[in-house]
Amino acid sequence: MSWFSRTPGKVFAVSSLRKSIRLILELAKRDLTERYSGATLGAVWNFIYPLVSIVIYVVIFSSIMGARLPGSSSVYNYGIYLVAGIIPWTAFANTVSRMSSVYLEKKHIITKIHVDLRTFPAFIVVSETITFAVTMGIFFVFLLATSSEITYLIAFLPLIYFIQQLFAYSIGFFVGIFVVFLRDVKEMLAVVIQFWFWFTPIVYVYEILPDFAQRILIYNPALAFISGYQDIFVFQRIPGLSYLGLVFVMSICLLLVGNFIFTRLEKDIRDFI
Amino acid sequence: MIRVSGITKRFKLYHSPKDRLKEILFRKQYHRDFTALDTVSFEVGEGETLGIIGQNGAGKSTLLKILSGVIIPDEGTIEVDGKVTGLLELGTGFNPELTGVENIYMNGTFLGMGRDELDRKKQSIIDFTELGDFVYDPIKTYSSGMLMRLAFSIAIHAEPKCFLVDEALSVGDAYFQQKCMRRIQEFRAAGGSIIFVSHDTNAVKTLCDSAIMLESGKIAMAGKPKEVVDFYQGLLLKKAHIGPSEVQIDRRVHADAALHSDVSTGEVDVTSLRILNRAGEDVDSVETDDTIIIRVCVQSRRYLDDPHYGFIIRNSLGVSVSETNTYCMGVATQPLNPGEVAVVEFKMAVPLAPGHYAVSVGVANRGWGHGGFEEYLHLMHDGMILTVLAKTDGIHFAGVFDMHPDVRIRQGRDAVL
Repeated sequence: MSWFSRTPGKVFAVSSLRKSIRLILELAKRDLTERYSGATLGAVWNFIYPLVSIVIYVVIFSSIMGARLPGSSSVYNYGIYLVAGIIPWTAFANTVSRMSSVYLEKKHIITKIHVDLRTFPAFIVVSETITFAVTMGIFFVFLLATSSEITYLIAFLPLIYFIQQLFAYSIGFFVGIFVVFLRDVKEMLAVVIQFWFWFTPIVYVYEILPDFAQRILIYNPALAFISGYQDIFVFQRIPGLSYLGLVFVMSICLLLVGNFIFTRLEKDIRDFI
Repeated sequence: MIRVSGITKRFKLYHSPKDRLKEILFRKQYHRDFTALDTVSFEVGEGETLGIIGQNGAGKSTLLKILSGVIIPDEGTIEVDGKVTGLLELGTGFNPELTGVENIYMNGTFLGMGRDELDRKKQSIIDFTELGDFVYDPIKTYSSGMLMRLAFSIAIHAEPKCFLVDEALSVGDAYFQQKCMRRIQEFRAAGGSIIFVSHDTNAVKTLCDSAIMLESGKIAMAGKPKEVVDFYQGLLLKKAHIGPSEVQIDRRVHADAALHSDVSTGEVDVTSLRILNRAGEDVDSVETDDTIIIRVCVQSRRYLDDPHYGFIIRNSLGVSVSETNTYCMGVATQPLNPGEVAVVEFKMAVPLAPGHYAVSVGVANRGWGHGGFEEYLHLMHDGMILTVLAKTDGIHFAGVFDMHPDVRIRQGRDAVL
């Protein structure tokens, strides 16, 4: 028999890690299947949209606009560069934006049974990771088909992705707290993410930017992981680990701050929602 | 086992979301404080069922939400031995597009069951629902009764230490309700506690070991179910009384005949209609087989040479359960002068099935034949509502009324039929 006391402000202790993980996995599974549960193709639709947008980007920029990577005349190199940035960016952007409104989206559950509000948004990360993995898998196939180089550097992929998603979680969690009280924040975040996409060298190359822009861009944390992917797939370089380490530390700090605020506001969130 | 001490919950009420922001920015109060619960404490032991009653807005739902961890209290502690599952709303997280089985997993996970636990119990859950092959169909095709079966079946298999139940159980046919009741009894026998929130005072009296009554966030009374229910009903009546006289909790007066649809020539007034118990106290609820006195005061504006007084008792479907009048009873009445008041008392036992009954009274003049009258002077429809409650130590019966059967069983090899 285990006794626990529930006192105001403290975490509801019976929500053990195992129970949280079960819930997260089940929600993730549902997240992927439910959106298209009425449709015959079902979960496959999750992957069609990202793939289509990738194809469109590559076709427009490579073939139609004739973009090439500086120092390379291959048609494919630019495509690989682009895709190597877009697939992870999609996971990042979706994670942040969906997490920010998760309490509103799942309010029909939160208001009926106890859910650990700190951890359950992780199901979004799981869901986006699966989408990421599948699209990456297709990307790999594409790389092999065009006999591009895939080196041992691939091993860095999980590390970069992990830091990226940790960062996404910290932002999403932080913003999510405020969205509960002021829905506008969600819209503001959407705008920020739009700007952020263009502020990160995904579609263009860092080198083509003017000096002043280059100096500013260094402060963009997304550059750390996006350039990491580009290093692995296109430039065959070891990714900037110290830069990634910095983003990791930032994420931890943001999580701690977010947690601090959350502890104070959890009661109000539960009342308000 | 649940022990709750000093639970207090205040809600901040804002006029608009912007006010919340203004409060944070300008550090001035823009909200109204509403105390939903004020120092609520109680204990439910193993195998015990606690009933919680109270009017709407008394704080029952807030209390349940706090117990299940949906809302955090401002003060107080809760100690629980084991898992708490709420049947606050059955079918949380049901997705209409998915099949019954798929929803078992989703809802089951919300209720705290693991995948292997669900795999193990899946068949038992499906069998309990008795939905047959429908369990493999999307639940959007289900009726509300079927949904309730599925939801309840999942919940009852969650094996919590404590069940929080509210009105959710009232959906479903009698057969399935019986099944649920049996399962709940097994649950109790195994040491599980139940907290039962309901407006059905009958259910609280029969199912609970103890009860508390919430009023404006405080516990107004705690104790044996019958005492608490009686107190609650007294309180309700006190609130319903609109007359000028002060009402004490144990004397209930129903005034204001004008509220009811009357059929009248205008010559006769029913100045008072009361239902009394055997001791002469006003009641609005009795147990089956109790004695009541219907007491009517009638005043006439003109001379009535052969006045007769009658009553009709109708059930909640409007069907007359019993009606008669002084003429049909062969009672000789005295003529009534203008300005005089006649006080008529009908005393009878009420062997009726539990439920709500409406008492109507009428006044007529000059009876003839089997029950006709030359003049129908006044008929006050549904002057009073009488609630009949199950007798605490009586037999269980259904139908219209208790016929008080005696039973004799003979058996043996040479039984004579």
